[in-house]
Amino acid sequence: MLHFRSGITPRVSAYLFVGAACVLLLFAARPAPGKSSVASGADTQVTFTRDIAPIMFRSCSSCHRPGEAAPFSLLTYSDAKRHAHQIVDVTQSRIMPPWLPEPQDLKFADELRLSDAQIGLIRRWVEQGEAEGDSRDLPPAPKFVEGWQLGKPDLILTATKPLVLPPQGTDTYWNFIFRLPIQETKWVKAIEIRPGDKQYVHHANILVDRTGASRRREAEPGAGFGGMEIRIESQVFDPDSHLLFWKPGTVPSVEPDGLALRLDKGTDLILNTHLQPSGKPEIIQPSIGIYFTSHPATKFPMLLQLENDVKLDIPAGDKNFVVSDDFTLPVDVDLMAIYPHAHYLGKDIQAFATLPDGTKKTLIHIPHWNLNWQAVYRYAEPVRLPKGTTVSLRYVYDNSDENPMNPNHPPARVLSGNRSSDEMCHLWLQVLPVNFDPAQGDPRMALQEALARHNVENNPADYEAHYNLGAMLQARKDLEGAIAEYAAAVRLRPQDAIGNNALGAALLAAGHPQQGAEYLQAALRARPDYFDARYNLGFALAGQDDFSGAAEQFRQALQLQPQDANVEANLGAALAQMGQFAEAKSHFERALQIDPNQAIAKENLEALQEETGAH
Amino acid sequence: MLRGILRQLTVLAAFFLLACPGSIWAQQTALDLEGRQANPFAEHSSKVVVLVFLRRDCPVSGRYAPSIQQLSRRYADSASFWLVYPDKSDSPEAIRKSVADYRYRLPVLRDPEHTLVKLGHVQITPEVAVFDRNHRLVYDGRIDDWYIDLTRARPAPTSHELEDAIHAVLAGQSVAHNEVRGVGCYISDLE
Repeated sequence: MLHFRSGITPRVSAYLFVGAACVLLLFAARPAPGKSSVASGADTQVTFTRDIAPIMFRSCSSCHRPGEAAPFSLLTYSDAKRHAHQIVDVTQSRIMPPWLPEPQDLKFADELRLSDAQIGLIRRWVEQGEAEGDSRDLPPAPKFVEGWQLGKPDLILTATKPLVLPPQGTDTYWNFIFRLPIQETKWVKAIEIRPGDKQYVHHANILVDRTGASRRREAEPGAGFGGMEIRIESQVFDPDSHLLFWKPGTVPSVEPDGLALRLDKGTDLILNTHLQPSGKPEIIQPSIGIYFTSHPATKFPMLLQLENDVKLDIPAGDKNFVVSDDFTLPVDVDLMAIYPHAHYLGKDIQAFATLPDGTKKTLIHIPHWNLNWQAVYRYAEPVRLPKGTTVSLRYVYDNSDENPMNPNHPPARVLSGNRSSDEMCHLWLQVLPVNFDPAQGDPRMALQEALARHNVENNPADYEAHYNLGAMLQARKDLEGAIAEYAAAVRLRPQDAIGNNALGAALLAAGHPQQGAEYLQAALRARPDYFDARYNLGFALAGQDDFSGAAEQFRQALQLQPQDANVEANLGAALAQMGQFAEAKSHFERALQIDPNQAIAKENLEALQEETGAH
Repeated sequence: MLRGILRQLTVLAAFFLLACPGSIWAQQTALDLEGRQANPFAEHSSKVVVLVFLRRDCPVSGRYAPSIQQLSRRYADSASFWLVYPDKSDSPEAIRKSVADYRYRLPVLRDPEHTLVKLGHVQITPEVAVFDRNHRLVYDGRIDDWYIDLTRARPAPTSHELEDAIHAVLAGQSVAHNEVRGVGCYISDLE
């Protein structure tokens, strides 16, 4: 009997779920604070040219200029005078410049917060009659780059279909899909987001979709889709690494060498936007500019998504609903950026780290949360958090009528969810593992596993946590553990195509093709065009010597992905097992056309030639 | 006919003396977009008059446009709404464009000398001044409580001061709150 090798490995397609996230290639490079002999004494005359212009140029003008997000310019004396009382109000109340975190020991890059002294100067300037002052005191006006901030991008993509924002109504959350026209893997050092008319876009995030999953949510290609929070399945351990975030005033910055973002053929970039009606219809058509680098990534940061949504069951009227969570780091990391996220009931948001020696560091504290000004905050210097550090979040929610942003009037019970009227308790940390031994494997996997285990403990009904834990266990060859976690995931979502496929593939890999086939069939009932499940089912049937059934699955898989050399090779192997040598040969040859290095096809073709030659 | 006009002038004069001591109608400088002197009280004397003060560079003013248009339609039979632009640097062309962009179908006034601002006691855009059928100021301030501050608005307003004032006048009752300051942009910064 002939023994043709069938397949390489089961396509275990462990998908990880990652949340909507983004940070930062960005943030404005702002002019350094001008040196000036500031009016000090309370009785000194405050003047625009000497005292106010330096503050305005540094902290206001980057947004308050033509074409930017702010509704009017603040570039000249007359601009300032036309809004003088308003400037006093919004600086006193710290509404402007928009900067939510309290001052803390760990400094953020590009902090926009004004000092009490600066706010006092502005108030006195207006109280004293808004004097212009000596023109010789006026610092040079800030210089801003027009158009693309880093020069012409290597690749510019514009949303296929603009969104027509109605003049009225609640805030809109819309996702634009950018299909990358690249044929090979590229490394990205910066992405500039041009969200369309900046006055109406509150913030935007780019998510990297390496699976094409988001396309299924479009009514037609290029149409985009609605939704505030989106989740994307991400291929076998390939965690998101960068927070690609835009808010008004954001200027893209170039990632240092080694921290480039990988984009592959077939990758989609999803721009998740928060839009606010303006009173008139607006056409929103974002574009993004991508800057490539020839330096592949050598450092691999990871976005850790801490959450405790399961605790979000906020009674109507509760003014002080607290959710906390503590996660202990299994490896040393440098914390690079932080991105807290809650919706309209969020009130006081903080995160802190307790180091192994007991030292407590505030990572961020936002005492008056405002979803409209959410942002990614990047630390001025990376924050070293040794293994054993516990990162804690503590979010306070106000679901009473005293919270004017409450989406329910009168207040109603609120649970976690993706709609803006639901709540969230999320904290993203961009961390870079340090001090690790590469021989011990990718330190990010230890992080992912610890986090998944933590989430399973927090919420045994968390499908994604079970799934991710299964994927991590499988990656370190603990198939038994992986099968248990995938099985838990499938119990939570029996109809889920991805969970069933993973469980089936893991059973297959563990040598249980018959059991595996049942789950793979369930996956295909849920999603008949699921290539991975189709491929795996063919493999499982071949494992039970059902070569005709296997051949049929591989043929269908080929219809889904005609250029897949592995499927061609496996189809050839199944046909050869059935004695259909001529047809088998043509499939081995096609596999080698697609991929001249396809080892199975090469090996089987040689075996076939020997065998048929011998007859 | 002559009698009618005289009667109206008399009422106006009386009103101005009451609301704005020292001001004289002859010095009135509210203009229409053709540059002619305009008087929102000269017509529709049987109607409530609502002056809506707007700044083109004020996003809060902009976001209110659909509500203002809807309210004016709802009370078309009993109230005449006027858009008032108090920024003297606004050209009629710029205002015309803004009015078209926001799909307003309301008469427009420029108030470069802030005559109407003073008459209506308004301080912020957008704010309204509501005058009863005798052209007596009965309410000035915000349209409703939609905005909390410049960066935060409620999902929907929970109090409706402008509508309440119109209702009270039409029902012959006194207005509960005569003045509730709005959230938006200062008119005084334009002086």
